[in-house]
Amino acid sequence: MGAVTDDEVIRKRLLIDGDGAGDDRRINVLLKSFTKWCNSTGSPEEGFTQYQRMLGTLAQCEFSMGKTLLVYDMNLREMENYEKIYTDIEQNITSAHDKISECKKEIQRAKRIRKNRQEYDALAKVIQQHPDRHETLKQLEALDKELQQLSHIKENVEDKLELRKKQFHVLLSTIQELQQTLESKYDCCRCALLRQDGLWVCWTVWRSLYKGWV
Amino acid sequence: MGPVEVTHLHMSVFSQSFSPCGRFLAAGNNYGEIAVFSLSSALSPDATDLSQTPILTFTAHEGPVFSLFSTDSHLLSAGNGEISAWSWAELIKRNTKAAWTRRPNYKSSLEIPEINAMTVNPTENSLVIGGGDNNIHIMDLESGIFKSVLQGHTDYIHCLSVREREGEILSGGEDGAVRIWDHRTGQSVHCIEVYKYEECARPQYGKWISCLTTESDWMLCGGGPSLSLWHLRSMSPTSIFPLSGCQRQANFYQDMILSVGEGQCVSHCLLGGEVKAQIPCTPHSLNTLALNLNSTDNRVLTVGGSSHQIDVFTNLSYRTFSLSF
Repeated sequence: MGAVTDDEVIRKRLLIDGDGAGDDRRINVLLKSFTKWCNSTGSPEEGFTQYQRMLGTLAQCEFSMGKTLLVYDMNLREMENYEKIYTDIEQNITSAHDKISECKKEIQRAKRIRKNRQEYDALAKVIQQHPDRHETLKQLEALDKELQQLSHIKENVEDKLELRKKQFHVLLSTIQELQQTLESKYDCCRCALLRQDGLWVCWTVWRSLYKGWV
Repeated sequence: MGPVEVTHLHMSVFSQSFSPCGRFLAAGNNYGEIAVFSLSSALSPDATDLSQTPILTFTAHEGPVFSLFSTDSHLLSAGNGEISAWSWAELIKRNTKAAWTRRPNYKSSLEIPEINAMTVNPTENSLVIGGGDNNIHIMDLESGIFKSVLQGHTDYIHCLSVREREGEILSGGEDGAVRIWDHRTGQSVHCIEVYKYEECARPQYGKWISCLTTESDWMLCGGGPSLSLWHLRSMSPTSIFPLSGCQRQANFYQDMILSVGEGQCVSHCLLGGEVKAQIPCTPHSLNTLALNLNSTDNRVLTVGGSSHQIDVFTNLSYRTFSLSF
């Protein structure tokens, strides 16, 4: 297991810094120069300059290390930021989907309402063509009243007619009786009737009438 | 010009029907052929020209296929006076053997009257057939027996519609009358003579009724007279649509009315009587309009007419592409 990770490490390092240029080379050079400086037999000024040079390289290494650490931090934070944005966008997408389906339902409802309204309008158009119910009811009432009045009048007239008929009947029957009595020659006193002055009179009456003359 | 192009020139699509799953469209033409198109492949993002041609074409009848209807499992086609049933599962597997073929009892055996319209009455599971012999035949789908004949029209029948809730069958014919039949008693309950109403009549076109459709209390009918919306409870016309040309098929869709007929367009109308839009399409004169409401993915409108192309509309406002016979 150690060998595997070593391989990976080697592969990574080769990938990053394979040709020996850059930081790795600087560290190696520093190590070499350090060992050379430790084992140097030259003058103290040379040793001092070597020492200064090594400090410089060390500072450079520290600087680049600091830079890479900062870059690493920055990358981590960028990653977090992107993760956040990603989850935000996903939420937005799902809510937009929900809104879209809601709106679709709304539109279906609105279409149904519109259709109902149009059907209503169409029926209303037809109904408008027919006369108003109140008007017709009023006309019917007026006609009813007229009808009642006329039937009253008719009843009255009929009653009158009946009455007159009866009266005429009485009159005519009395006339007829009178005529019959006058036509029959044997009246109250059973004596013959004589015609006098265009009138049929009975014998007793005639005698009394003409007795005074004789 | 090769022979295929010549036949294509003279082809008219008379009828269409969608499969119960909604993925296939069957269309019948005047040569008696039925073509099955795969809608799912034609509508998929990687569709090619090939997917706009039928997956299967076969000759179903000797005469033109004027009417197609789909039940839950079968495609019923009417042609040459007979009705054949084809199983959708078999058709998808490209097997063109008819499940059954039946012929109503026609009185005269000399002429074979054509069948113009077919519809199914779901409450009784019966097939209602109207055709050239002026009668409506009712056949039980399970047993295949012709149960009854509704007589009353004096000329051939163009179109049929069923009102399930009231149990009524409506038929419109060449004699200009829309008759409403009670399916149990077999009697004609009402007879509306559309051409006698002044606002609907167009004497220059005639009195025949070629399209009839109903939805709850409303009925659309048209043909010779203008396309008109009727309220069936009061039997009065409520709106007249100012469409020139005779309409051959009309449908209610959501809050609109879609109508096709003479004229190179699909008309969208509102229930109030105004024409909202007229969408142009390829055939010069349209015979049939079908809406695929069975499926959620392939919700399209297809129209066919006097051309070998069938226009497909994914959005009702414009023609998306055309299937070719």
